[in-house]
Amino acid sequence: MVIDFSAFYDLPRQIDRFFDEFWKPNVISQRRASYPPVNITEDQTNIYVDAEIPGMDIDDLEIILTEGSLVIKGNRKADNGNYYRQERPVGVFQRIINLNVPIDADKVKAKMKNGLLEIVLPKTDEAKPKKISIEAE
Amino acid sequence: MTQEVTKKETSTLPRFAPNTDIIERENGFYIYMDLPGVSKDNLKIDLKENELQISGKAFYPKRENVNNIHLEFGDGEYVRNFTISDIVDRQNIKATLKKGVLELFLPKAEKARPRKIEIQAE
Repeated sequence: MVIDFSAFYDLPRQIDRFFDEFWKPNVISQRRASYPPVNITEDQTNIYVDAEIPGMDIDDLEIILTEGSLVIKGNRKADNGNYYRQERPVGVFQRIINLNVPIDADKVKAKMKNGLLEIVLPKTDEAKPKKISIEAE
Repeated sequence: MTQEVTKKETSTLPRFAPNTDIIERENGFYIYMDLPGVSKDNLKIDLKENELQISGKAFYPKRENVNNIHLEFGDGEYVRNFTISDIVDRQNIKATLKKGVLELFLPKAEKARPRKIEIQAE
């Protein structure tokens, strides 16, 4: 038998965790609210979408870019055996990310490492900020 | 002094209990643990008597000069403890980290394996 007692007699850690709650970075707005969790950042040329999808190959994922949105779809399958504990999510998931900027669809790149999906969405030239020179008379 | 420093380092990382599956199959127990962002070098597996502690640190690639639009996860520390019983063959525990999932295989000791008993008819 393998027993996970961590919730019962790991009091010091529980206290630690209680105090950790106060120090949680407040930039993390809604962890675990939907699956998979994503981080979205942007700079002047690209939008970056990172997602935590452990245990999946990039080929098992369906990444669809439509006009105005990015869809990440997949299916996490359960293993066979006698389950003592099952906490890892199983089943079909889908996440839609709205993009309010035009994207150069041909140059989108996606890669997967250590269970982290990284998608780079380059903005089209029209969407990039331009410097307008003012001519003084 | 060093202890103080390490403590400071760990306390800045938010700590999470990773999602875990424990499955029993004929030859032993399998523990699957979601550890996205944890590389092999940042993973620690300790077995002390009956206590198995798994801890790992996840660091995500940092980008310079970006605006955060929406964040749902960040760097963190994963810690989880298990108690394993005597029927596990400690010498042959195997661990593999693949695609952000840690697979631990705890084989059952020879004496605890289910055995087929042959019936001899006369």
